[in-house]
Amino acid sequence: MRSEDERYFQRLELQLDEAFDVAERAKERGADPVPEVEIPVAQDMADRVENILGIDGVAERVRELEGEMSREEAALELAEDFAEGRVGDYETKAGKVEGAVRTAVALLTEGVVAAPIEGIDKVEILENDDGTEFVNVYYAGPIRSAGGTAQALSVLVADYTRALVGIEQYDAREEEIERYAEEVSLYDKETGLQYTPKDKETKFIAKHMPIMLDGEATGDEEVSGFRDLERVDTNSARGGMCLVLAEGIALKAPKIQRYTRNLDEVDWPWLQDLIDGTYYDDAADDEDETDEESADEEGDESADGDEDAADADGEDDAPDPDEPQGPPRVDESMKFLRDLIAGRPVFSHPCAEGGFRLRYGRARNHGFATAGVHPAAMHLVDDFLATGTQIKTERPGKAAGVVPVDSIEGPTIKLANGDVRRIDDPEDALEIRNGVEKILDLGEYLVNYGEFVENNHPLAPASYTYEWWVQDLEAAGADVQALEDDPRIDLEFPDPEMALELAAEHDAPLHPEYTYLWHDLSVDAFCDLAAAVADGRVEGTGSDGDDTLVLDYDDATADALETIVIEHRQRADEDRIEIDTWRPFVRTVGCEPRQAVADGAALDPDPDEQRREPTIELERTWADDGLSERARNWGHDEDGDNAIEAVTEVAPFEVRERAPTRIGNRMGRPEKSERRDLSPPVHTLFPIGEAGGAQRNVADAASHAETMSDTPGVVELQIGRQRCGACGTETFKNRCPDCGERTDPDYRCPDCDQSLEPDDAGRVECDRCEREGTCVETREIDVKDEFRSALESVGERENAFEILKGVKGLSSTNKIPEPIEKGVLRAKHDVSAFKDGTVRYDMTDLPVTSVRASELDVDVGQLQALGYEEDIHGEPLTHEDQLVELKVQDIVLSDGAAEHMMQTADFIDDLLEQYYGLASFYELDERDDLVGELVFGMAPHTSAATVGRVIGFTSAAVGYAHPYFHAAKRRNCDGDEDCVMLLLDGLLNFSKSFLPDKRGGKMDAPLVMSSRIDPSEIDDEAHNMDIVSQYPREFYEATREQADPGEVDVQIAEDTLGTDGEYTGFEHTHDTTDIAMGPDLSAYKTLGSMMEKMDAQLELSRKLEAVDETDVAERVIEYHFLPDLIGNLRAFSRQETRCLDCSEKFRRMPLTGECRECGGRVNLTVHKGSVNKYMQTAIQVADEYDCRKYTKQRLEVLERSLESIFENDKNKQSGIEDFM
Amino acid sequence: MPLEASARIVSELTTRGYNAEREAVTKLAAAEDPHAALERVLENVPDDVLVVRADHVAAALPADGTGTAARSDAPADSESTPSTSTGTDATPGRESTESSPVETEGSSHVDRAADPDLRSLEIIGDMTGQSTGTGEYEDFVSVFRDRLDRLGSKLRGRVNHRPASAIEDMPGGSDVAMVGLVNDIRSTASGHWLIELEDATGTFPWLVMKDREYVDLVDELLCDEVLAMEGTLADDSGIAFVDSMYFPDVPRTYEPSTADRHVQAALISDVHVGSEEFMADAWDRFADWLHTDQARHVEYLLIGGDMVEGVGVYPDQDEELDIVDIYEQYEAFNEHLKKVPGDLEIVMIPGNHDAVRLAEPQPGFDEELREIMSAHDPRIVSNPSTVTIEGVSVLMYHGVSLDEVIAELPEEKASYDDPHKAMYQLLKKRHVAPQFGGHTRLAPEEEDYLVMEEVPDIFHTGHVHKLGFGKYHNVLAINSGCWQAQTDFQKSVNIDPDAGYAPIVDLDTLDVTVQKFS
Repeated sequence: MRSEDERYFQRLELQLDEAFDVAERAKERGADPVPEVEIPVAQDMADRVENILGIDGVAERVRELEGEMSREEAALELAEDFAEGRVGDYETKAGKVEGAVRTAVALLTEGVVAAPIEGIDKVEILENDDGTEFVNVYYAGPIRSAGGTAQALSVLVADYTRALVGIEQYDAREEEIERYAEEVSLYDKETGLQYTPKDKETKFIAKHMPIMLDGEATGDEEVSGFRDLERVDTNSARGGMCLVLAEGIALKAPKIQRYTRNLDEVDWPWLQDLIDGTYYDDAADDEDETDEESADEEGDESADGDEDAADADGEDDAPDPDEPQGPPRVDESMKFLRDLIAGRPVFSHPCAEGGFRLRYGRARNHGFATAGVHPAAMHLVDDFLATGTQIKTERPGKAAGVVPVDSIEGPTIKLANGDVRRIDDPEDALEIRNGVEKILDLGEYLVNYGEFVENNHPLAPASYTYEWWVQDLEAAGADVQALEDDPRIDLEFPDPEMALELAAEHDAPLHPEYTYLWHDLSVDAFCDLAAAVADGRVEGTGSDGDDTLVLDYDDATADALETIVIEHRQRADEDRIEIDTWRPFVRTVGCEPRQAVADGAALDPDPDEQRREPTIELERTWADDGLSERARNWGHDEDGDNAIEAVTEVAPFEVRERAPTRIGNRMGRPEKSERRDLSPPVHTLFPIGEAGGAQRNVADAASHAETMSDTPGVVELQIGRQRCGACGTETFKNRCPDCGERTDPDYRCPDCDQSLEPDDAGRVECDRCEREGTCVETREIDVKDEFRSALESVGERENAFEILKGVKGLSSTNKIPEPIEKGVLRAKHDVSAFKDGTVRYDMTDLPVTSVRASELDVDVGQLQALGYEEDIHGEPLTHEDQLVELKVQDIVLSDGAAEHMMQTADFIDDLLEQYYGLASFYELDERDDLVGELVFGMAPHTSAATVGRVIGFTSAAVGYAHPYFHAAKRRNCDGDEDCVMLLLDGLLNFSKSFLPDKRGGKMDAPLVMSSRIDPSEIDDEAHNMDIVSQYPREFYEATREQADPGEVDVQIAEDTLGTDGEYTGFEHTHDTTDIAMGPDLSAYKTLGSMMEKMDAQLELSRKLEAVDETDVAERVIEYHFLPDLIGNLRAFSRQETRCLDCSEKFRRMPLTGECRECGGRVNLTVHKGSVNKYMQTAIQVADEYDCRKYTKQRLEVLERSLESIFENDKNKQSGIEDFM
Repeated sequence: MPLEASARIVSELTTRGYNAEREAVTKLAAAEDPHAALERVLENVPDDVLVVRADHVAAALPADGTGTAARSDAPADSESTPSTSTGTDATPGRESTESSPVETEGSSHVDRAADPDLRSLEIIGDMTGQSTGTGEYEDFVSVFRDRLDRLGSKLRGRVNHRPASAIEDMPGGSDVAMVGLVNDIRSTASGHWLIELEDATGTFPWLVMKDREYVDLVDELLCDEVLAMEGTLADDSGIAFVDSMYFPDVPRTYEPSTADRHVQAALISDVHVGSEEFMADAWDRFADWLHTDQARHVEYLLIGGDMVEGVGVYPDQDEELDIVDIYEQYEAFNEHLKKVPGDLEIVMIPGNHDAVRLAEPQPGFDEELREIMSAHDPRIVSNPSTVTIEGVSVLMYHGVSLDEVIAELPEEKASYDDPHKAMYQLLKKRHVAPQFGGHTRLAPEEEDYLVMEEVPDIFHTGHVHKLGFGKYHNVLAINSGCWQAQTDFQKSVNIDPDAGYAPIVDLDTLDVTVQKFS
């Protein structure tokens, strides 16, 4: 590690220590459930693993093993330790296996995700039919977050430990094997699996599995056969088990095999058969799976028809590998269009002309599952794209977060007045937006090399761009350095003369700026266009070169010009098409401008003409039949649909394919930057039952009385009983109300009421009754008194806040309430608590590796104060516009997040002063003061927080941070979101005691924090990001071969791991003016109703050249309206009912008609209105967008079904509309 | 002469606006060149004739048939006649009403079938056009109350029942009985069964001990079926211990009615026209067979739903459709229907693939579809409906609830291999689709049309594409097969459908013979 990196981390840790001290002092004084900070600091993965598991000694052992072997091997090594009792304090064999399995999962997930604690429920020992013992591992849903490899390895570790402690293998009964098969396919149908093994495969695995895979029921649907098995507790699908079996064992068999080979104790010879697929033979007699039924086909017949179709028209016209008849092209993939949702538009159909053009490169706010889009394009797609909006994309991955990059080419549009313009300035885009008739081209779409590596996607043919051209120029022998240094030449955007000169002088390809999309034009159209150009004339040939090519107006010519995306003006009524920048264009179509003094003066004497202007004639240098056979037939989809070869033959210079790869995409999720509120929001985790009304208003509860005879404010609640050790007072508080000492939970046996003490493992059990003890009791609490005294103790009055919201009840094991005082102060500062007591703010994750002070709304001084001394070129940092390389744990807050953090800081300061009686900590006056403060970053499904430092602010509704910071939280940036918390808020207010006592309760809670990021311990997806400033020419050439990304030499982050440079040197190929450009919010969020969104979506689809609006309408109906209609109709005819008064649910309408619980009114849960809300819209859309008859008929049939159910045949509804 | 010939002749005749007697068709088919023969017959029939009779054929063709042999090129010609099975060359409408003269005329088919006057056909429980429910909560309540009233009345005489609310107030240890809907079935921690019965006053829990003889019956129970329980009240009157259980059931001594003469009905279902897997050839053989002497007593054709494959029944269905247009599917079905003899009485109910609402009861097809399916003027009624033919009542129900019965009950009591056993369960419960909230969908109407108020003589279902029949307390239960070969979906779940079978019932004996056409 470089010394400056070390200094950086020390600084963070110092700051962290300071806050920790304050928090520790506060905690000692307050009445929190535990008198100390509950988030342990983990310096490395070993620490995290130990902290998450809570097993002493693991960290030390992990550190020992880490240097010597891979993590997987370490997991197996640890299994031995567990088996032999060297690690962990387990007496039972089951306990040893459990410890080993959990540790393995924790180790393989770097101690960040919740899978090891939430995904493995328990391990138990059961008996085989022959009386021997076997191991049963009980998985739960959250095992999902571990990923397939860790899941599969957990099974191996369980088996290995089993063998070591001397337990026999599991011998599955026949019906259990069948059950596995049925269950896996049921789970796939209900929830979906990434990989679904065939029934035979499942049975094969089940039959040979040496341990039993079991788990909790996760769904409502039950299996139809093989029910009520003795050793299987549930008839529903066991989600965790299905995941481990299908996505773990079945999918990752080769990986497990690598480790089983080296272990003598376990022998899984069947893995080879599984990998080879040879289990079919010996499973051949496993017939008869007639448990499903024919008419129930509604589930899974989604044939992969569309991909097949797309593949079919791939390369069928290239039979001769030596002499390709067409250009290299990627195949269309329709997958991203699946499940299209109303209101989320399609921007481009697969590989469609006019869609986004693939450009390779990484912008500084880019990489790690993002897509660079020009901000002008964001505006032109009616603001549907904003920074951070997720798009579902055709390639290379499935989804990406959108980032604004303005150093790429913008979109080209046709205005209502006939102007065709390329828009490279977002301001221009806003100005002309209302006049846009057609978006001919969406501009470039930046994807970095690393994305292709990460997705293992063959490289797609690259656009001919400046980065490539300039290397071609150099290869052609030009002195590029000299040209770049020449102040008169803008090499990236040269004027036409310069471009032509460079091409001619160095025999280099034409500059991309003047290379048009010839490959989209057919050879015939190209010939016609050349003819039209030859007939054209040049006007305004003056001294200043401000001349214009004028062609006769013709639809075909206009179409051709639109297809190749060249700026021009169409004036149909004047019979003119005008092209300003015409010279490279004219040369490309094989015409030579010839300067001539017009001697037509005699024919056309013009007395006003002062002097004869020289005119330019365009001479076509070639004839249609002069084209070679190859050029005439050059094409991709069909012969002759690509004019690039013809252009190459007729142009005096080489012309490259400007945009051979178009990438289809559609909108996924909108970006997010919102405070995390529970619903309804909660200020204090103090229970008030129903007394607070639907709002859970504590003040209301304080004055609530059930009947006249009740004391107002006294509410009966389930709450944890505490007892003061000093004076024996019974209370529910963490501090004795009498003597002020801390109290302890008072556990009793629910049967014999004997007082119990927790054992070392924290379990409380009554020896006599063999029942688990509890401290929870139902008692009357005087909420009024609690509320009043809380207000008093923090010195606030009720008018300090609008409303103070509590919770209905506590869901934690011991039901320990939070002091109301904290809630009072939260309400005062308008922040609300998450289930764990912390205040959170959610943001979509985006990466950034270099930043400017100016875009972060901070000044150079602030950056310098944070340790930024040099810009990316090594120059001293003096100016706001200089780029500096972001340090790995520094993050940029969205404006909203900053605002919320300010409020939280104020709350914390008040809390320290008014509740804990300490000095305030933050004392922020303005937003700038937030810079340098520490926060926690924390992602859902994980249990570890990562410390970050605020460096600045952005108006984009996203959280920008270093990709390593996101990867440390195990997020990528394809639309994922997670939260930030203010450091001291987490330290002071988080308590494990608040976490719900249910599956998943420990997810999304900071059970441990990482104080520094170790690049080798983060999600390795981030290691695939490229970190260079230029891709080599060989790379671009390899894309034409559609090479495997691994074959190309571009440096990625992985290459610097473990070196001094691992925290630095993240270079980029493209800059962007500001990391927040384009709209601040996606139109999806600013438009109102679903209908408005859908109208806008369909409207946009009409405007986009690359989108087939009928297909969009079809898909919206097919994937959104129809499923909604069908689903609701089905739900209607088999619905539950609910009591309006007490919310009791009934499977079927009670025969009494009224609620059996309270006598209240019962009503349907699915009404006519919710069933047919989209019916008319769907019919209208189908009609307006000319959908297929099949779709229309489906709607017709449905409409009649609705009528049949909801209308009385004998009394046809005549609504008001009939009379209007 | 291939069997399809008859069908071709019939369809050729119908497209030209003629109906034909069976014998006439047989004779034409027997001619050496049926196509030429047909042309000659049509040239010779009088203009006002709508039905081609055997004597027309006899008059037009020389007895030895050599008259047609001269035209040697004709057979090839007839082969190339466009097959009507594609359903696209339909000329619908013209023949729609012409079948009635056959029946009234009567006199000429003495040797084929009996006098049409002997026929009788009556429909009960057709709710087409009677759907009064508007999907309100009250509609649901009244439909379940109606179920309890009507099925309960079959049980109330058998036990000394009390309302649920009254039982609670009875002293512990009393003997009690109750009639109600099964509201809930749970197993207790100790392996007993707790069954909650509900009547119009509330619910009461009944405990079936695991060692009691009745415990096996618990496996058969479905939620929302009506039954009676008898037992002893626990000491605290909070629960009762079941001693006996009663189902509405079919009396063991039930004696079905039979027809007075030897007449047969063909019971089929699940034609699935429009599907790529529709077995047109098998259907044609079936239609041809109906024209033969062997089938001379078949005078009724009952079709138990799924005439067509439908649209949008499952995702991406269009990729597996031979005919994507739903109306064209019905037109094609009609063309296939035309091939059966015109003097058959046809009754049809819709199924879950048909273009009517999925929720049961399903009304018969709307006017537009009836217009299309006009061949031989079929009777189109709701699913379910009871049709009484010559005294024999046939309860026709498509059978969606069979899936649920098979899923919920143990394999030996209901399985796809023995679909009729699942039907026995429905007969026992006297309800075609008892369980609410699961697989089967319910549209609330003012009465429960799904109740079997009267015991049918024959119970006819389809839907599961498996053939199976048997008798339950003398009631004949038939699940007909289908006319759709194995689909990819069925293949994937290993279902082997019984396709191309027609069970034929002797209405005078209720004996079944199965004709195979695949």
